[in-house]
Amino acid sequence: MMIGLVGLFIKLSLFSLIAFGGVNALLPTLYDISVNQEGWIDPQTFIHYFAIAQAAPGPNLLTVTLIGWNAFGLAGALLATLAVCWPSCILIFYLQRVIAKLRHLQWKKTIEYSASALAVGLVLASAWQIAIRINGNWAAYALTIFSILFVLLSKRHPLYLIVLGAILGFFGFI
Amino acid sequence: MQRSPAHLFITFTLIGLSGFGGVLPWARRTLVEQKQWLTSQEFNALLGVCQLVPGPNIVNLAVCVGERFGGVRGAFAAVGGLMLAPMTIVILLALLYDHYGEFERVQGILRGISSVGVGLIAATGFKMLKDELDYPPMLAVIAISIVIATIYQLALGWVVAITLPLALAVAWRKAR
Repeated sequence: MMIGLVGLFIKLSLFSLIAFGGVNALLPTLYDISVNQEGWIDPQTFIHYFAIAQAAPGPNLLTVTLIGWNAFGLAGALLATLAVCWPSCILIFYLQRVIAKLRHLQWKKTIEYSASALAVGLVLASAWQIAIRINGNWAAYALTIFSILFVLLSKRHPLYLIVLGAILGFFGFI
Repeated sequence: MQRSPAHLFITFTLIGLSGFGGVLPWARRTLVEQKQWLTSQEFNALLGVCQLVPGPNIVNLAVCVGERFGGVRGAFAAVGGLMLAPMTIVILLALLYDHYGEFERVQGILRGISSVGVGLIAATGFKMLKDELDYPPMLAVIAISIVIATIYQLALGWVVAITLPLALAVAWRKAR
């Protein structure tokens, strides 16, 4: 158990260090590590836990929390979450300070402009890739497109959309 | 402007709790549109820096915002607030799933919510895109990054490695 927990922590810390664009961007790698290499979770449960992490409030990295939970209970859930967070927390903490202290204004603006453009591209690309993974029929795509338009054109709280999605799913449309 | 760790903890707890299907849309809504701690451009820039580092971007964002408004303690408070309540909820859901997960209706609900969630992520992307319209050459860089990530399906490390030099070159001109 103890050795298993240490292994979980080290493996997921390393995973975090290559996870450019976030956990969902590297979902196939996460699947490979936890299902094929380490046997922390079986394929069916992995997919269902991914859906729960998507549906529950909170960051998408909760998929990792649930993998830890499945393998080692509460200690596993806590350690898995910590493992996937700490490397980037330390990196970003110092990177942000360095950028904030940059005196050369054009360099500072250059870094911010380019990082911001990159963010737009990565967010849109990741939405595209996740949509292809999870949307199973035309109704699901229609719901996704409707959600985009709703957020862009209406001031209402997006929680209405979550309720709509749950109702449509309950009655078997999605 | 400084905020207390407790204030940051509560703000990020609320962001984490309302973030269905990805927290990013709610982080933007809360920090930019409601509390107005950051302007839209500041948010994009901060998020961009967070995307340069591997790992969960929303946690990186919590570190950055927490550090900016409350130093080291602020960063811990923001990350703790973001994670604690959602972790508790998702573990409770996993317990429920053990009992009811095989029902088709339950799986249908999960599918429906996921389809909405991905729409929310895309909508955030489009809102961010609006801020880039004032300098059209940058749109080409964004289009290239999307094409190599989706059509050529390169890993995101490669997408960053290929797009970053282009983005820096265009941004250098934009910053002049």
